[in-house]
Amino acid sequence: MSAPASTAPSPGHELEQSKFWIYVQIAMLLAVITGLELVTVYLPFVRWLLFSVLVVLSTVKFMFVIFYFMHLRWDRVFCTILFFIGLVLASATMWALLKIFGAEASKPLPMTFGDPPAMVFRIV
Amino acid sequence: MSSDAAAGTIDHHFDPTTTTGIPNKKVLMWAFLASDCMFFGCLISTHLIYRLHPPPGTLPAKEVFSIELTSFSTFILLMSSLMMALAVNAIQKGNLKSMRWSLLTTIFFGCIFLGCQVYEFRNFVYEKHLTITNSILGSTFFTLTGTHGLHVLVGVIWLSGMLAYSFTGRLTEKQAIDVESMGLYWHFVDIVWIVIFTAVYLLEYI
Repeated sequence: MSAPASTAPSPGHELEQSKFWIYVQIAMLLAVITGLELVTVYLPFVRWLLFSVLVVLSTVKFMFVIFYFMHLRWDRVFCTILFFIGLVLASATMWALLKIFGAEASKPLPMTFGDPPAMVFRIV
Repeated sequence: MSSDAAAGTIDHHFDPTTTTGIPNKKVLMWAFLASDCMFFGCLISTHLIYRLHPPPGTLPAKEVFSIELTSFSTFILLMSSLMMALAVNAIQKGNLKSMRWSLLTTIFFGCIFLGCQVYEFRNFVYEKHLTITNSILGSTFFTLTGTHGLHVLVGVIWLSGMLAYSFTGRLTEKQAIDVESMGLYWHFVDIVWIVIFTAVYLLEYI
């Protein structure tokens, strides 16, 4: 027995149609968040608070782009895992490097008169 | 528009011919982008580390940067991402004409971004006397943003090539994965700029 003919569009087709407006709305949201970031840096609040707000706002922008514009929301979870492996490794490397070089012992020593001038390297 | 696309019978998120169910080109692109995350992560870390301990006599970055210009560039790149997403959406529906206009706008926005970057670099070198060799700030800044700019340039060339290819008549909704892979690359360039905008520019102002 054949399936009854239907003129109604499939759910997939409706999704494709609605994606247009999703993209436009997200782009507007991203523009607004960028404006907010710009305003944030001029606010007279403590540094750590401004830093946290900026990190959160840029993370929100980042997530919107990867999950909507880059289709991770609709793609198989494997793509998300694959990308997040690189992202987590990169973030962990950044965190480790900043921790190591942020330590007091990592600060460069001040130049003294006994130090050889930089020109030595050019002559050699 | 072809009958397949009009009926919505092509599922662009699933490929039954591969073991993962994902088109191989898409897996390849995601793997490449994951590795590129590491690359940019190292460049951004290097810049931030040197900004933590600036050597004496370093020019304050706030006096060098123009936040208005950079914000405009960011806005332009975000809008280019929107146009790229619309281009992918159009080709997935088999709407070649709409895809061409969206690609053309994306290329236009990409060129504006590159123009802003060239203007910014020129301003830094000739007005602010900040070059890639005369300070650590210059070295790390130009290396990071220059590498990103190079990625944008590659993206613009790729987009232009795809636009030209669409006129040969061989680009249909069945090859939508080629446009989608290119789109992934373009959006990646955008997300890297989102991080650079915050880490390199905005953090200097707080």
